[in-house]
Amino acid sequence: MLKSNPGLALCILIALAAIGFALFSGDPYYVQVVIWVFANAVLAVTLRFVLLIGELNIATAAFFGIGAYTTAVAATIFEWPFVISLLAAPVMAGLISALFGWVTLRTKGPYFLLISFAFTEIVRLFYTKSEFLGGNSGMIGMYPPMALNDYYPAIAVTILAAILFALYAAERSNLGRIFKAIQNNEDIPRSVGLNVIGLKILCFVIASTAVGLAGGVHSYTNSVIAPADFTFFVAVLALAYVKIGGEGHIAGPIIGATILTLVGQWLHSFGPYENIFYGAIIIGVLLLMPGGIIGLGDRFRGRSTTRRDPH
Amino acid sequence: MELQVQLLMNTLQIGSVYVLFALGLTLIFGVMKIVNFAHGTFFTAAALIVSSVMIWGVGTMGLSIWLSYILAFFLALAVVCLIGFIVYIFGFQHFLKDLNGSFILSIGLLLLLNGTYLILYGGVPRSIPTVVPGVVTFLGASLTLQRLLLMIVAAVITLGLYILVHRTKLGLSLRAVAEDQEAAMLQGIPFRRVALYGFLIGATLAACAGALMATVTPVTTVIGDDFLVKAFIIIIIGGLGSVVGAIIGGLLIALIESFGGYYFDPSTATLAMFVLVIVLLIVRPQGILGHAEK
Amino acid sequence: MSMKKIIGITGGALLALFSAQTALADETLKVGLSAPMSGAAAAWGLGFEYAAKQAVEKVNSEGGIKAGGKTYMLELHAYDNKYNAAEGAKTAQTMLNRENIKFIVGSIGTAPVRATQALSERQGVLLFNTGWGKSIKGPDYPLTFTQMNTPFEILGPFFGYIKGQHPDLKTVAMITPNDATGQEVEPVAIETWNSLDVEVVSTDRYERGTTEFQSIATKIANSNPDAVDFGASPPADVGSIMKALDVLGWDGIKVVAPGTSAGTLSQMAGQAAEGTYLGASADFQGDSASEAQRTLNEGAVKEVGESLNAITISSYDAVMALKKAIETADSIDPKKVAETLPTIIFESSYGPAAFGGKDVYGSPQQILIPVMITQVKDGKAVEVGRVAPEELKERLK
Repeated sequence: MLKSNPGLALCILIALAAIGFALFSGDPYYVQVVIWVFANAVLAVTLRFVLLIGELNIATAAFFGIGAYTTAVAATIFEWPFVISLLAAPVMAGLISALFGWVTLRTKGPYFLLISFAFTEIVRLFYTKSEFLGGNSGMIGMYPPMALNDYYPAIAVTILAAILFALYAAERSNLGRIFKAIQNNEDIPRSVGLNVIGLKILCFVIASTAVGLAGGVHSYTNSVIAPADFTFFVAVLALAYVKIGGEGHIAGPIIGATILTLVGQWLHSFGPYENIFYGAIIIGVLLLMPGGIIGLGDRFRGRSTTRRDPH
Repeated sequence: MELQVQLLMNTLQIGSVYVLFALGLTLIFGVMKIVNFAHGTFFTAAALIVSSVMIWGVGTMGLSIWLSYILAFFLALAVVCLIGFIVYIFGFQHFLKDLNGSFILSIGLLLLLNGTYLILYGGVPRSIPTVVPGVVTFLGASLTLQRLLLMIVAAVITLGLYILVHRTKLGLSLRAVAEDQEAAMLQGIPFRRVALYGFLIGATLAACAGALMATVTPVTTVIGDDFLVKAFIIIIIGGLGSVVGAIIGGLLIALIESFGGYYFDPSTATLAMFVLVIVLLIVRPQGILGHAEK
Repeated sequence: MSMKKIIGITGGALLALFSAQTALADETLKVGLSAPMSGAAAAWGLGFEYAAKQAVEKVNSEGGIKAGGKTYMLELHAYDNKYNAAEGAKTAQTMLNRENIKFIVGSIGTAPVRATQALSERQGVLLFNTGWGKSIKGPDYPLTFTQMNTPFEILGPFFGYIKGQHPDLKTVAMITPNDATGQEVEPVAIETWNSLDVEVVSTDRYERGTTEFQSIATKIANSNPDAVDFGASPPADVGSIMKALDVLGWDGIKVVAPGTSAGTLSQMAGQAAEGTYLGASADFQGDSASEAQRTLNEGAVKEVGESLNAITISSYDAVMALKKAIETADSIDPKKVAETLPTIIFESSYGPAAFGGKDVYGSPQQILIPVMITQVKDGKAVEVGRVAPEELKERLK
């Protein structure tokens, strides 16, 4: 399989190199940057995963937060072991997303976009009003066990990379093809007797479970979480990664997340100017490179680009 | 009784500006099928311009407060129209009916414009001198003359828009495009030009709301953000693209804010609005007055 | 030549250039600052950065800091923490692990401060902060110091003074934003009011960014309390609520405890703000202000557009405390400096100050500066009372 897919082989090599770097580099800052890059890549890829069925899912931010809070509660209130508390995150995110998806995925387009936006706000307001979740101050004290402390960055990168590969596999499977078919025209899969709503919920649950696990990892990476970390803006940035990298291929959001995270880190010293640059970069790339960076590569190779169709 | 009148009065005060703001957002959605996250920046721009022109007019030029405000109001509208034009020509024009693309473009604009306002104006809230002093009492409820005037102006603008949409040729084209863009183009309606007009009218409505709000509330560089979130709730409730829906939705949200804030607390009222939206969408996904998705 | 090589060579050349320069001059000591510089709380961050910059310039122009036979020039690195924990953690990573900063002379926002603390305590970095929670200090966090008065210092003397002025004061309504600071102030305030035999008749919270305060004003006016405690509400919000209360005919005692600007308040509420008691809006322009405070304040008005308050001026005091502590410890090891801080008396913008508060927090990590009670008169904050902490009086003897 790897022989026929040099791109995948390269990605595995990069992931291994990143894990190796996290293990041996000894430079805590750049190890953190690697974790941020992978975490943002997961956010972007999970957002794109729901885009496969054609829906823009702002609730990506909410399920990232639900995962983070679940792990935090499991680790600090219930004092569950590290692995269990981490695994609780995707379970919780998956369950809630199944319920949420079952109720809301009957809507689509702008309605689903805005409903997922409202849901993200509700969940955030819920945290701020819950004393046992620390209210606005959030939760502290999520530390990996002492024995694992030095290896934690490598563990985090491994988990996040595994999520990326798992979502890639899901997209390449028959299921992934059906999701894309739903996006193109959901009447066709329906006409062959497929349960379109059920499949949409499945797609949504897969993505939310994945981002929930990433949230659990985030909890241990940061040791501190607060409601303001999980505003709709998290999903907005994820969409920026997708758009800038290009949504035609799963590599797009990963490239977008990598570049914007690094640029963001560099812009960090610019104080109030940071947002201006960030906004300008998003607008510039959007207008000049409509297919994102991936689209640019395709254009150079003379392939037909997946340009949006101007009416 | 007095209390209920006061709360209803509060509802109208709050609601009148919500309606103006949400109308612009819903109009832009109707015509262009885009969700404009940068809509709040038009509101903010107008409020900021009013605050600085007022300071200049009253302070430097020694004009009367009335004259300065009228000058500031129309200057704010003109500048926002210009911003809207630039943003449309260089940006949104390329993203008509592209929900995801236009969404992220508007986010880019939001970051860029809000950041620019902060550099230009700093983080300190500003307020302008009272244009119309005085308080009126009505059935035991009191409100400032300024608020009363604001409500009247907002109502007149809303009525004006309603007439524009439902009684003029431009309004007919706007509605035709919103209903079915391809059919409208077959009828010879120039879609792109109509979309531009729709966008500019929407931006101007946000500017009107901002210029009016500047008279009663401190102006900050992020003042539009709170209105944007509320406006999203309003247009979902009313139905995306529906003018009457935006009016009903705006008043309903104001009602919840006014009564919920009184009987519970404002923070709970905010939470209640979001819950209402989810519940409503489950029961009636296309909003109160929206059309079902095809 | 590969890209990597080019970067390597250019980087090396730049590095050589920089080190050549620093070899000529004195040693550089980087100090960090983490505060909101965008969004609704931007004004705090910008004022905070301004005050820190002035302090750094003052220290450098007076010959830097001397320790261990070397002279250190300060270099300020300020970052926007966007008022949330995730960005606070990123800011902390950047300061600690990229810039190798060992001293953070100021941080604003409970969530970002806690995120910074999670890293700074583990890596042995000294952290000055404006956090109001009790949980942020204590023997578990030996390197964390609070650089301004918190409700535990302010509310006792402040409410006590008001009760003394208005012996008839029996009921108070509380309104505060639904944010970390608001949630921390509320229980302390209720407890303090109750200890003075004042009943808190209602507590309300609103979301930050709210622009319409009609409903809350109606509610307060209807229950007609003797006083309204605005908790941790920022000045612009307080102004809006006061204006609305005024229209509804409520005219009682107005109490604003946290760092707030009387100028902004009066500009927003006009006549309605007159007589308001302010707990942390030190009067930095009046006669009671120190020379240093007046100069700083004038500069801030010019540069940032707003007067300083107790929060924003605190970065200046932290730099002054740091200088004194480093020179006394004769070391730039953060642990030694932290051990020295509670033992020194340094010249803050308020005059001589120290660190203490062991009785309240379990370890001496709280700055000891006077609580200044001011009242809005003719649109300005006028000092009506000043209560110096007993502990500071003891130490200065």
